[in-house]
Amino acid sequence: MSALLVLALTVPLLGLVPLLLAGPRVGERAALAVLAIGAGLCVAVGVAVALSGRALQYFVAGLAPPLGIGLRADGFSAAMMGMSALVLALTAFYAMRAPGAGAPRMPPAFFMLLLALASALNLAFLAQDLFTLYVALELLTFAAVPLVCLDGKPGQLRAAMTYLMFALFGSVLYLLGVVLVYGQFGTLDFARLSAALALAPPGWSFGAALALMSAGLMAKAALFPLHLWLPPAHAGAPPAASAVLSAVVIKAPLFLLVRLWADLAPVPMAQAAAPVLAICGAGAILVCGVVALAQVRLKLLIAYSTAAQIGYLGLMFPLAAGADAYWSALAWTGGTLHLVSHAFSKAAMFMAAGLIAEVFGHDRLAGLKGAARVAPLSIAAFGIGGLSLLGLPPSGGFTAKVMLLTSALQQGAWWIGVVVLAGGLLAGGYVLRLLVLALQRPEDGTLPAARECGWRAGIALALAFGAVALGFLPLAPLGFLSIGRPIAWEGLAP
Amino acid sequence: MSGFLTTPPLPISVAPEALLLLAIAAPLALALAMLAPGLRRLVPRLLILAPLPALVAAVAVPRGMSVLVAPYPFRFTLALDGSGALLLGGAALLWMAAGAYACAYMRKDPARGAFATWWALTMAGSFAVFLVADVASFYLAYALVSFSAFGLVTHDDTPEARRAGNLYLALTVLGEAFLIAAFVMLASGTSEANPLIRDAVAALPTSPFRSAIVLLLLAGFTLKMGLFPLHVWMPLAHAVAPVPGSAALSGVVVKAGVIGLLRFLPDGVALPGWGEALTAVGIFTAFYGVALGVTQTHPKRALAYSTVSQMGVVGAVIGAALASGLPGAFPIAAFYAVNHMLLKGAMFLVAGLAMASAPARARQAALIAGVLGLSLAGLPFTGGALAKYAIKIVVPDGIAGFLLTLSAVGSALLMARYAVLVTASGKERQTPPGGILLPALALAALALAVPFALFAPVTGLPLAAAFSGDALAKGVWPVALGLALAGLLAWRRWPLPEVPAGDILHAMGPLAALWRHTLDLAVAADARLRRWPVAATALIALAALLAVVAR
Repeated sequence: MSALLVLALTVPLLGLVPLLLAGPRVGERAALAVLAIGAGLCVAVGVAVALSGRALQYFVAGLAPPLGIGLRADGFSAAMMGMSALVLALTAFYAMRAPGAGAPRMPPAFFMLLLALASALNLAFLAQDLFTLYVALELLTFAAVPLVCLDGKPGQLRAAMTYLMFALFGSVLYLLGVVLVYGQFGTLDFARLSAALALAPPGWSFGAALALMSAGLMAKAALFPLHLWLPPAHAGAPPAASAVLSAVVIKAPLFLLVRLWADLAPVPMAQAAAPVLAICGAGAILVCGVVALAQVRLKLLIAYSTAAQIGYLGLMFPLAAGADAYWSALAWTGGTLHLVSHAFSKAAMFMAAGLIAEVFGHDRLAGLKGAARVAPLSIAAFGIGGLSLLGLPPSGGFTAKVMLLTSALQQGAWWIGVVVLAGGLLAGGYVLRLLVLALQRPEDGTLPAARECGWRAGIALALAFGAVALGFLPLAPLGFLSIGRPIAWEGLAP
Repeated sequence: MSGFLTTPPLPISVAPEALLLLAIAAPLALALAMLAPGLRRLVPRLLILAPLPALVAAVAVPRGMSVLVAPYPFRFTLALDGSGALLLGGAALLWMAAGAYACAYMRKDPARGAFATWWALTMAGSFAVFLVADVASFYLAYALVSFSAFGLVTHDDTPEARRAGNLYLALTVLGEAFLIAAFVMLASGTSEANPLIRDAVAALPTSPFRSAIVLLLLAGFTLKMGLFPLHVWMPLAHAVAPVPGSAALSGVVVKAGVIGLLRFLPDGVALPGWGEALTAVGIFTAFYGVALGVTQTHPKRALAYSTVSQMGVVGAVIGAALASGLPGAFPIAAFYAVNHMLLKGAMFLVAGLAMASAPARARQAALIAGVLGLSLAGLPFTGGALAKYAIKIVVPDGIAGFLLTLSAVGSALLMARYAVLVTASGKERQTPPGGILLPALALAALALAVPFALFAPVTGLPLAAAFSGDALAKGVWPVALGLALAGLLAWRRWPLPEVPAGDILHAMGPLAALWRHTLDLAVAADARLRRWPVAATALIALAALLAVVAR
């Protein structure tokens, strides 16, 4: 069973071989097949975790930490792995060479980067020591930056450069934090660190280490006010690339942020830091949400919506660090569910935006009147994905919002509830803006002669329905997500 | 309380559970059929039949029947109670007649398929709000009827329709935010994550969040009903929608707000303060709607303001029930709402008929319009008089009672204005599309007759009670006074300045400016934050801040 973890890391890399050796046509199909197998593996990990009720763990070369590297999948990791692998596989399918002549061609490099992302993401979700995680984050950054500038346009290059520089800035801070932790504890392994932290209360240097690592992660996740690179990078990339960047790539640093503060940091420390993260989250939701309303281009609108939506995770921290076990578990479930459902809906929305832009030849909102006539499936995918952002039932976004609201209410955190509601209003504004325009008739009565590419719109629609399907989870803490918490190596000799 | 509210008048052979589900599923299936190109042509014709299961359910399903359609974790539950059955039956009749009307009215419209889709979705949502019994499904049903109605409002795609549609959509999203906050707080009083509405409301009077919940519920639902100052979308939306769409909006969609109040406020439990406040807002809206309605020059806008006014009356009745805690008052409010539903639907259809006719035919239509208007104003021996009589049971004599009676004067005045506008709305050399006359007449006849069938079961009083000399005298003078006022207005030809539809919206210029200012501010702040030096400093500062607080 635990070999699944290694396979999840290595199988995507196998797909690089045909891409490098065979022609692009064969290579693409091989990449798609490998990503599909990877998705199957991730789902298998989830099933194994759910069936056994325990975390899966694996020691590379049979050596336990601190000598060896340990991989561990608990419920939270398994959920993130399953989500990201599904989105990556569907994106590869979306980017396949379309039979139609008008569809853009994604170069073989795109598929290589996708495979590298799959491996790096799984490493980030599975690794259990701070240095391996650093490696995973760097791999992720170096796979994501070229995605931004695949077409090599000047704007894209500038955006990619900003992204790279800022992410590296974040890496430096993260690495500084790692050094501080190592100096204090002599280990970087999560389980050993938590054991050491349980023995003695940590000093200020551990707090400083956590702060440095968090700031680095927030820079890589583009959490407000560190979002300078996100809008140009996500809006400028080709649609298939934007979909993975917005849906899954920024989720890895957010996942680690949750790991650090919810699983590693002692509770008093987490409670003290939580308001700062929540204020950043609130700023993201409110400022980026309003700025999204002011955009005139569809892809920029979606990119700002991403910058706004990740704020909900920031709002989760004070609620999840609360004293009451049930309400904090509910907030934790809500935050995680939001991460996952946002991934599905955002991938769907970027794909839909790409198809709409193919039909119209641009993505200026004012010129998209009548889009519902020429690209009905894409508009449906955008709308259904958007319903989740709006928080309308049934959707993962609705369930997540109700969980966060309930938890905020029960813990007396009124202001968080108000921000969640305001975020829903703003999301309503930027999602419905396109839908309203799409239903109108263009003033001059002319519509583009081209039609949307049906099967690719179908993929976007499938992702959107993925977000809807998440709405059928019960409105209660999800047991699956707490499998394997707190972090510990099971069956490891002391 | 007997008869209609408690026992089924007809024996039925179909499983009643299935019937409840079918009531919602039939229009939904119709909307889905639009996805199949082969079935698309059939859908507009089937609009007439889609409400049939709902009608049968309203008449034949035993009151108090409840069905758990999908068990935990969904808990999708349907139930039929007295108020729900009244509104469901009335809505089914209106959807049928208006559907037949729409089928003929839109025959030449190239976009009739899209209209039929929105129509079917709105219908499904409206039946669902009257039937669902759990909180989450109510939210879904309410969202379905609200958002689908956008398609009816903006069908004509004129600049006015777009503006009205945008305003409607913005307020709908706002209303949804009010409601989800209220529902989350309500559900926190029960042990379930998705409780039955009944259980959640039972916990309301002792909830620590009682004031916040009631305020949010009132804001969310009165927005849909069009109570002042949240009525601004109504005159705009009703005036621009195609005629059958206006009938559905004014007749049914606004009743989603009524059923919301009836479902989520406790029947028979006094909520001191809130009841009086709702009564006051309702009465003010009742007069406000009339005052603005009489200045209108378009029959549909006059009707829209009349809806505002009438929903004010319903709000005042519900408020009075809350103030006194009188048990069993809510079905009476529903009865008044059904009377308005059918009358207003018929009035829109008749106005549409006149607008599409030659002047001679328009004058004939105005005659029907006048009769319908007299019923709405509560002239004795009409269905409307029965509704007015019934609400007196809830709102006893006193200031509120007197003011409500006085509002009937306003109704009579506004209805006279409406009839005059209908008279003048015919144009030379035009013939109405064939097939719209019959549904309009049928709905008008139903609107006049149905209250007679419902009065005794709803109030538990014999029909004769409403025809006693005392009741007649109380019913005649407001109508007479209203008509006299109308005559005076017509005779002296006082120029009334037409208040632009959306009235106080035009006073909200500063708000719009404030919003634009906020937008500019946020964009400027974002641009500043996204500069390299600022972002780099923010990164370092954030790390330092976290290190300080996490000491």
